[in-house]
Amino acid sequence: DESGSKKLAYEPHPLEHRWTFWFDRLDNQSDKSNKQATWGSSMRSIYTFSTVEEFWSVYNNIHHPSKLPPPADFHCFKYNIEPKWEDPVCANGGKWTLTFQREKCDNSWLYTLLAMIGEQFDYGDEICGAVVSVRSKNRPDKIALWTKNASNEAAQLSIGRQWKEFLSCNETMGFIFHEDAKRLDRGAKNRYTI
Amino acid sequence: EQNDNTNTAKKYSRDFLLKYAEQCVDLPEGFVTSDIPEVLISGRVSHHDKCDSL
Repeated sequence: DESGSKKLAYEPHPLEHRWTFWFDRLDNQSDKSNKQATWGSSMRSIYTFSTVEEFWSVYNNIHHPSKLPPPADFHCFKYNIEPKWEDPVCANGGKWTLTFQREKCDNSWLYTLLAMIGEQFDYGDEICGAVVSVRSKNRPDKIALWTKNASNEAAQLSIGRQWKEFLSCNETMGFIFHEDAKRLDRGAKNRYTI
Repeated sequence: EQNDNTNTAKKYSRDFLLKYAEQCVDLPEGFVTSDIPEVLISGRVSHHDKCDSL
């Protein structure tokens, strides 16, 4: 039968790393202290995949960012790395962030995922994962690429430049250390800009 | 073994990965939809817009 032959037509292609999708449907409450207290509490892992085929099997059956009800975060992180500042691998890291109009976000999210799982970054070992943050109409969506060693400037600049290239993006973007974000929240300044 | 700045063994270009998109339409074994938030599940969806770099 057709579906059977499709499944058996090829050997799965293993990925260099295992990756986990995480989903977090954020609380709608705007109270800041409450948000702080509950952040991450609704985050759950969705699926861990290790082949090209498993990736598509999940990706093809879940909503893409533009169809997710805001506010929500959808993550794809290397297996055993939690998308949290507190994770030991992320603790000394940081993130590049790009903002998007909603209709542009889906392709950029997909291309970010494909670049990560296809190991297209020269400093791929520095990458923890990526998160797309879907927000309401008056706030732009964001995609952030999380990395391990924020102080390794050469690695971060390489990753940032390559990411922009993969997305054909000309927008200026900044890199924030998680350590700064923890201390200063939205007052954290970009340490690197490209 | 891989180092920070060396190529890894299993590298796949975007175009290569996109070739497999249409072949993998069923949820993988072990994916328990009842454990997944309903808002996340789309069923079969258009998997991506045409790659504009081609």
